[in-house]
Amino acid sequence: MELAMGIILGCCALGAGIAMIAGIGPGIGEGQAVAKACEAIGRQPEAKSEVTSTMIMGCAIAETTGIYALVIAILLIFVAPGIFAGVLKSVIGG
Amino acid sequence: MADPVVKRETLRISLGTIVLSAVMQLVFVLIKRWDMTVVCGNLLGAFTAILNFYLMCLTVQRCVQLPADKAALRIRASQSGRLFMMAAFLGMAALLPKVFNIFAAAIPLIFPTLTIMAYKLFFAKKQIAEAEKSGIKPEYRPYGDDESEEQE
Repeated sequence: MELAMGIILGCCALGAGIAMIAGIGPGIGEGQAVAKACEAIGRQPEAKSEVTSTMIMGCAIAETTGIYALVIAILLIFVAPGIFAGVLKSVIGG
Repeated sequence: MADPVVKRETLRISLGTIVLSAVMQLVFVLIKRWDMTVVCGNLLGAFTAILNFYLMCLTVQRCVQLPADKAALRIRASQSGRLFMMAAFLGMAALLPKVFNIFAAAIPLIFPTLTIMAYKLFFAKKQIAEAEKSGIKPEYRPYGDDESEEQE
């Protein structure tokens, strides 16, 4: 039972760590997008308002992937072990 | 100080988040899982989502005035910091299950994205239709449904 619980906790922690790899992508993507926006504003300073508005929307959409990863990681760390432990107890008890 | 663009977008996202939070509460009532922890979790999640969006707006506003390489570095640092902030808030919700429902705290984090998608879906096409009715050819088409492109 203790060994099984240890494996469950270890796998949950490992899964959370792997899920957070997805948090790297949005940062890189947003960085590239903002760099291009800076160049665009440098070429056309009068379009600053439109570029900023579009950038904000684009960054918010790009960040969703990181938020999904974060939510999955938090659920794997704090919620999943309890659920899996309940399933394990019911299986061993049955 | 925040630009008018930042204030306008934050207000729009806040309104969308509030509407979607009300819908989420309704869903929790319908599935008979509603209690005060759902309300507290929803408040925490919605506050985190709006704060995250506002901080991102402020960062973008500052970044567009910088050179390209410095702007990229600053937005990456900001994204890491905001992700850490959200992890702290969600961790707090997970560690206090008698106060916050973790699912009600996590779901509102995607409400800003849903608001933007809903806005694009409902309002962008309406604006294009109004512009075409008034004889103005819009430069921006969100779905690429330009007839002249299809003919070519």
